[in-house]
Amino acid sequence: MTREQPGAPETATATYVYAVCRRLDPAALSGLAGLAAGFPVRTLPLGPLTAVVQHVPADGFTEDAWQQRLADRAELERCARAHHEVVTAAAACGPTVPLALATLYRGDERAQQALGADRDRFAAALARIEGHAEWGVKVSLPATVSEAPQSAPPARPRDGGGAGRAYLERKRGLHQAREQHHDRALRTAEDIDAALSRLATATRRLRPHTQEMTGERHRLQVLNAAYLVTTVREKELLDAVELLRRRTGAEVEVSGPWAPYSFAGEV
Amino acid sequence: MSGHEPVPWDTPGPLAGPIGVPLVDLLDRVLSTGVVVSGDLVIAIAEVPLVRLSLHALLSSVNERVPAPWSDGGPL
Repeated sequence: MTREQPGAPETATATYVYAVCRRLDPAALSGLAGLAAGFPVRTLPLGPLTAVVQHVPADGFTEDAWQQRLADRAELERCARAHHEVVTAAAACGPTVPLALATLYRGDERAQQALGADRDRFAAALARIEGHAEWGVKVSLPATVSEAPQSAPPARPRDGGGAGRAYLERKRGLHQAREQHHDRALRTAEDIDAALSRLATATRRLRPHTQEMTGERHRLQVLNAAYLVTTVREKELLDAVELLRRRTGAEVEVSGPWAPYSFAGEV
Repeated sequence: MSGHEPVPWDTPGPLAGPIGVPLVDLLDRVLSTGVVVSGDLVIAIAEVPLVRLSLHALLSSVNERVPAPWSDGGPL
């Protein structure tokens, strides 16, 4: 923790780290607000590598402060977007390894020491992601099952079974239809993932968003995946997505190019 | 970048899109992924209960009867 003016606790700062890259022209970071107004987003040398950092007021970034910040939806969104904006600006200039939100050190020296100890991991990660971008793909299918599936047994009483039996048969039919729907959804997700994985250097399955998270009752997310794709294959990926949309009838949403968040960590 | 179909954020240039990125997709990435390193004040945030509590709160603000989304460990 550094103090620019001894005796003035409000100026005590910590060092927030956004990302690690090789070389970065500090001009690429000019004008970025980052997480703390009034402190420039800047570069910090790490031997052959460069960290993208910012001083932040230490008392605003304690664990308690993060507890509060992250429990507040608007504040969490502000932080996530500010973090992402800096990562994105660095990634636009060359291979960049993003760090998780809220990676903080007591000062520049501590950051250099700790991150420098991981220099080899960072170098390996940078080599892996160079020339690549991350693409997000989410696949959704209709959430509801038809009340009268074609494969269901006829819902009428037979040889004296009566209304009770018809009811049970109808229930059973609906249950089977649900299971088939579920199986089909999983198969569709696997097929799409397999097809896109063939175009990707690396693949990662993220947890599908629940209906509570999306707020969408009419459809169910069956795949939430990230693909690390070389820039020369991006068009191939997008063409493949279009083809899969037509072939499966599923809703396939693509996002990207992202800085390779999902592929920086596995070393 | 020619030949790209529309993506959720529509800004020019490579990797140029903080604006309009869906928050839920962004949180998938900034919270749960990235390189895990040890920090002084807050450690690798996806690993600590802190963030699960917070995400629960986040979603509760959208819908009161919401289970924590990443309650069993988050994206792989």
